Amino acid sequence: MRVGIVGTGFMGRTHAAGWAATPAEIVGFVSKDGDTAVSLTNQYGGQLYPDLASLLADVDAVDICTPTHLHHEMVLQAAAAGKHIVCEKPLARTLAQAEEMMAACDAAGVKLLVAHVVRFFPEYALARQKVESGEVGKTAVIRLKRGTFQPKKAADNWFVDFEKSGGMMLDLMIHDFDYARWVAGDVVRVYAKNISGSHKNAAVDHGLAILTHANGTISHVEGSWAYPPPLFRTRLEIAGDNGLIQFDSGQMASVSVHLHQRGEESPDVPLPGSPLSESPYTTQIKEFYDCLANDGMARVTAVDGYKALQIALAAIQSAQTGQPVVIKN
Amino acid sequence: MKIGIMSFAHLHAEAYIGNLRAIPGVEMIGIADDNLERGQKFARQFDAHLFPSYEALLAEQPDGVLVCSENANHRPLVEMAARAGVHVLCEKPLAVTRADAQAMIAACREAGVILMTAFPMRFSAPLQQLKARLDAGDLGRIYCLNATNQGQMPIAHRRWFVDKELAGGGAMMDHIVHLADIFNWFFGRDAASVYAQSNRILHADTVDVETGGLIMLQYDDGLFMTIDSSWSKPLNYPTWGGLTMELISECGLTVVDAFSQNLNVYRQEPPSNQWAYWGSDMNQAMIAEFVAAIREGRETAVTGEDGLFALEVVLAAYESAKNNQPARLNSNYQTT
Repeated sequence: MRVGIVGTGFMGRTHAAGWAATPAEIVGFVSKDGDTAVSLTNQYGGQLYPDLASLLADVDAVDICTPTHLHHEMVLQAAAAGKHIVCEKPLARTLAQAEEMMAACDAAGVKLLVAHVVRFFPEYALARQKVESGEVGKTAVIRLKRGTFQPKKAADNWFVDFEKSGGMMLDLMIHDFDYARWVAGDVVRVYAKNISGSHKNAAVDHGLAILTHANGTISHVEGSWAYPPPLFRTRLEIAGDNGLIQFDSGQMASVSVHLHQRGEESPDVPLPGSPLSESPYTTQIKEFYDCLANDGMARVTAVDGYKALQIALAAIQSAQTGQPVVIKN
Repeated sequence: MKIGIMSFAHLHAEAYIGNLRAIPGVEMIGIADDNLERGQKFARQFDAHLFPSYEALLAEQPDGVLVCSENANHRPLVEMAARAGVHVLCEKPLAVTRADAQAMIAACREAGVILMTAFPMRFSAPLQQLKARLDAGDLGRIYCLNATNQGQMPIAHRRWFVDKELAGGGAMMDHIVHLADIFNWFFGRDAASVYAQSNRILHADTVDVETGGLIMLQYDDGLFMTIDSSWSKPLNYPTWGGLTMELISECGLTVVDAFSQNLNVYRQEPPSNQWAYWGSDMNQAMIAEFVAAIREGRETAVTGEDGLFALEVVLAAYESAKNNQPARLNSNYQTT
């Protein structure tokens, strides 16, 4: 299988490392940043393509790691070319875009996989597996936290452009919206507030959301772009009628390094995760490879990506209007 | 100074009796209980004098009483004490209805006696440190808080804790008031709206009150905060529960765990893991404040109005959970 990667920012580079661990051939990259792309072709092989159209001519599958607002157009283009697609989360910027993308992929008979990587982090996957196996009984109250600093970029920081990224709730909290739904099923009601909605001139954003699931479970989801760099913390707590599962990346860190200040800049985007023999991003790409090359099953579907988007957009709407938003499934 | 305890329905009375005896110059004159069996049991356990009735206890003309009856039974005892001209420290929640809370506040005001609501978290050393930093302006403008007051389902302590009539509700009635009062202490009483969702999945076979609750409060100036009041700690959790807060402000992140001052104790026999608390005794500090206010003839640091405010947050949460809409907070506590 031949794969091409569009976008060579943090996620494009991370996914390239994942593809390199599969039998797929990395045919090349499309990039706005020539220097990064050259270093990637040096490392992983393949060539630099001037645009998506020329890349599509040479691949069986394309991995779209571009800013959120570009997913729609690129997925449509790839589907029209009959290529399978891996798309970074969030699936799209709007529900209408997502619907059109899913319909186009269905019509073209190509697969559309959404990179909700939290499902591949072993602590999150294991917690969900324990819920599925009934170890803690019926889920009742879930708490999920993902807190870090606002992503930086040397130029053109699309993360902070609400029109492009959808802001913190769509870019960051969507991870846990998807995870809450993976664990406790469809969400029927969303109420949320965030700093950008409540304190117009604040320099940071932080959101709190209460989700109500169809099965009666209630979930508290917290997302932050308000922590001082380089802090990045995730936490999960699942209370079921037969027990409790807790994880806290801060309390359970297996390696903590505390250095005297050396004036180093923090990274543009936080580097998540415990020390593992395989990066969860690579685990994800391997599963996607198996799905595309061998018609295997992936644990996350386009419908999952759509529903996560739906919850995130409902949270944004709730924060803007002050009212709960009902989701029809 | 003479202090008595009216009712041992609430388990906190078991701590307060020792707290009273630890204060120099305070005479714990005894206890009374409308449940004779309960009164006899605790009088024996704590080697305390048992009065045959509340009237008999009040006839001793104590300076103050602690009211530790069931949540729904606070009012008659508080009113009785007020009529006798005796200062009152009343267990939380102050009452389970607005009418009861208002009547209790009015009765104590008319009698010129103290009505203090038992909110021990006000006397928690970790929370007092946070309050001092807030007051000093160290944290800059406060944007939002994520707070939890989770616990074990309390049926093992007292069966009435899960009785809708006597307790006034379940996890929301039990655990919202502490944090609602802390928000009041930190930011004032001008909270505006409350949204809540609750469920009864945990212990569904055992109790008929809500056992899970998530609440979002917003102040008019934009400040917002959530409370998790769920009884979501399993019955064999190493401790009863806890109270935590993460605060986001202009200057960064502040994390507080009010009950983290524990030793981890592991044993060969069950319970295999227990947390042994070594932090300061907030109950002792709260009882000391009640005694000091009586001695100094002043208001207490926590009042009946504070108790009513916390109750209003709870009532709004129940209304919201029922309607699935944010509820406007009743602001009548400001004018009582």
